[in-house]
Amino acid sequence: MKINFSRQNIYLLVMTMFLLVFVLVFSFAVLIPNGKEYRVKRVELKKENIGLKQLSNFSIEKEVILQKLQSDNLHVIKAFGTEFNAQRFEKQHKLFFSSLSIIKMNKAEEEEGFSVYEVNTTSEISSPKSFYNFLDAVNKSDWIIAVNFPINFKRDGEMISSSFTMKVYNNKESNATE
Amino acid sequence: MRYSYIKPRAKTIFTKDIQLLFTFFGVTIFMLFSTYAFLLFRDYRFTQEMQDIKEQKNQLSINISKINKQIAVAQKQSLLAEKIFTKNSVLKDSINNLFDLVPSRITLSEAKIMQNGLILYGITPNKDVYNFMLQAPLRSIFHRTYSSFYPADNGWLRFVSTNYIDEEELSSEN
Repeated sequence: MKINFSRQNIYLLVMTMFLLVFVLVFSFAVLIPNGKEYRVKRVELKKENIGLKQLSNFSIEKEVILQKLQSDNLHVIKAFGTEFNAQRFEKQHKLFFSSLSIIKMNKAEEEEGFSVYEVNTTSEISSPKSFYNFLDAVNKSDWIIAVNFPINFKRDGEMISSSFTMKVYNNKESNATE
Repeated sequence: MRYSYIKPRAKTIFTKDIQLLFTFFGVTIFMLFSTYAFLLFRDYRFTQEMQDIKEQKNQLSINISKINKQIAVAQKQSLLAEKIFTKNSVLKDSINNLFDLVPSRITLSEAKIMQNGLILYGITPNKDVYNFMLQAPLRSIFHRTYSSFYPADNGWLRFVSTNYIDEEELSSEN
């Protein structure tokens, strides 16, 4: 039995085969690898997005911690940033003493990363209780002040003259700019 | 010379079969290229989004490290302030205790409070009052206590009491 293909049918068959091969090659060589890559990238992007969200949440948490810390220590942080002013200190603490004089001395050695100024104080008090009240008030003052040794008390008639040094702590420039 | 009575139809390459074939493959290829275009577009968007995320992450990391530094400074300030406030309060209590320690029969004229010592100047009716009422409690606090007396005008005794805490003994006790 002899099968006769017309020329037109042969053209049709060739064209069909060519297009089919093109579709298959394009699909397997281009589309499927690209599709796989797309899926991988989608997963990767999702992971990156989750990472970004976690980082963002972490940043918010840190900010909350910082704000809480700053609001809890508002007085302390402000006090560390305030430059010591002898006249203002005298004015604020004069009521504890009959007389008070402050002499700001030179900058002392840095302590724990903070700059320290030594201040010499001479005063007269009517009773030790005034000094106790002064020590309470120093902790609430506008500066971070440590009353330092040596402390001298000397009876002077009805009064007690006292002399002592104080250390005033300030932010170092590097801390302040941070 | 005519061999047929009908008019010959014009022959075309685009027969019905070819048209059907082209339509089918045309739609298929269009869908394939559309998908390819979609993938290319998504790839471009992914690259952009990844870059954005990277930039945001960098920004957040810088922000976090800045916040961490601020937290460290605030904590340091808080700790130091707490230490200083405690030191001042302890100092207040120590001075209070010191003055409470002095009995009413002994009058102090001067007190020097040092980091590891205390020097008291005063007047006492006699040595026994000083020894029992002031020196005994001072001895229980300080490691070394020295006293010297000299007579006052009113027949009482002026005294100088020097007391020291030895840092070495203090550290060994701890």
